[in-house]
Amino acid sequence: MIQLHNVFMSYQRDATALNGVTLHIPKGDFVFLTGTSGAGKSTLLRLLYGALRPTRGQVLVNGQNVTRLTAAQIPLLRRNIGVVFQDFKLLPHRTVLENVAITLEVLGWGKKDIGKKVYHILKQLGIEHKINATPLRLSGGEQQRVALARALVNDPKILLADEPTGNLDEENKAQILSFFKQCNLRGTTVIIATHDRRLIENSYKKVIVLDKGQVVEVHDGQN
Amino acid sequence: MAKTKPGRRSKLANEGVMGRLKYFSARAVANIRQNVFVNIVTIVTITLALLLISFFLLAFVNLKGLADDWTRRVQITAYFEQELDPQELGALRARIQALPGTAEVVYVGKEEAVKKFRARLKGQESLLDGISAEVLPASIEISLQRGSRDGEAVTTYVTRLKKIPGIGEVQYGEEWVRRFNTFMNFMRIVGALLGGFLLLAVIFIVSNTIKLTIYARKDELELLGLVGATRMFIKAPFLIEGVIQGAAGSSLALIVLAGCYFGFLHNAGNFLSFNPAEMGLSFLPLEYLAAIFLGGIILGFIGSITSLKRFISI
Repeated sequence: MIQLHNVFMSYQRDATALNGVTLHIPKGDFVFLTGTSGAGKSTLLRLLYGALRPTRGQVLVNGQNVTRLTAAQIPLLRRNIGVVFQDFKLLPHRTVLENVAITLEVLGWGKKDIGKKVYHILKQLGIEHKINATPLRLSGGEQQRVALARALVNDPKILLADEPTGNLDEENKAQILSFFKQCNLRGTTVIIATHDRRLIENSYKKVIVLDKGQVVEVHDGQN
Repeated sequence: MAKTKPGRRSKLANEGVMGRLKYFSARAVANIRQNVFVNIVTIVTITLALLLISFFLLAFVNLKGLADDWTRRVQITAYFEQELDPQELGALRARIQALPGTAEVVYVGKEEAVKKFRARLKGQESLLDGISAEVLPASIEISLQRGSRDGEAVTTYVTRLKKIPGIGEVQYGEEWVRRFNTFMNFMRIVGALLGGFLLLAVIFIVSNTIKLTIYARKDELELLGLVGATRMFIKAPFLIEGVIQGAAGSSLALIVLAGCYFGFLHNAGNFLSFNPAEMGLSFLPLEYLAAIFLGGIILGFIGSITSLKRFISI
């Protein structure tokens, strides 16, 4: 499903974000990527959805070599990957419905189908009553759920999340983690980049530890 | 959480050319509604920019008309080598009429010449007392067609005219024609420079205004790319929005221009000591109006497409 072969990534001459990373994440896995700030977690995620191209090495996602995809092929790759961004990236003046619908509009869905599907996913995440609210009126936890709904609404094969529990209280963290697990149970490969040790310890999942752009430890969980 | 397989949906409502076009247009209208202020700013900018161009064109068209009017003064007077009988005169006139560029040929007899001379000396007619019509020679006055009134064309015409047997001296106000042509060339250069600078300024201002409005929505552009939108999908609504802004801006500019012309300039005689309309001040021809409208649409489209390049990374 996801393979990285000897991947190097440098932003500038002296700033190496990834330093020879080789990884294999099978389909349906649940993986935590952890490490200190600047270890290369976010860079690795960005390589997976084609926001960055590695300086050297190969990145394979769903059997496609991301490093060789053309600009026109990148959108097709991204349609199979749901991403929950650290800063949520919600459009502040659009409603929750419009924010989540954007993923389905891109796929060409009709208005009626979008309405039904968005309501369904929001209901699963417990925020269907906020469907017409704008993100500015939502709490951090609710915003996180909207971001998660947008990432999951088209049933992606892979779900990537960058520090998804960064600003949440313990109750919200547990709920968000539970959504990720449910998603994984349905067959979605989940990769979460986090430095939240408690979240990792409570989940009993596979952990990949990065340090200075290198994989330094891999703990198999109890998947 | 129950998983819905993507394959379960019956159809993609926004697929196909018409489906996409309908979606993009709806998206563009929704964008305008959601960003009313920035859209008003863009439309007003396009309106003002095109108004500048329109007033420049109005001045240009009227000056051109005035210059055309002046060139009617270019008249050639040809004298005969010897007295001609009516038959010879008829043949000569026919030959002159056949010359390319000839508009009108008028024979001025000796009597007519004295009358004209007398009219020119208004108030001092006594100077001609005792002078008979025989003193002044008969001549032919030739008016030229519009395209043959500038410097080189007049010279070529005169050269051809002189080759006609029976034609003696030819006068055509060489100095005036030369000066007028220098003036017209100067006006053309100044007009082209002014028009060029104005056009560049308008393109610069409009494209920067559109760039600012698109910059305000760069997060949306980024997000669309991240959820798998193609370049076309991201660009199309913005381009349609640009076309709508351009059409609205140019329509407003034309309405204001017409309002200024018919409400003020055309009726200026009521409150000014002269009436510009009576002096031949005309409104822009239809093809100019169409060009301004199309120009607005192109401006909106090009402004959007160049601005989008900057913000779409995929």
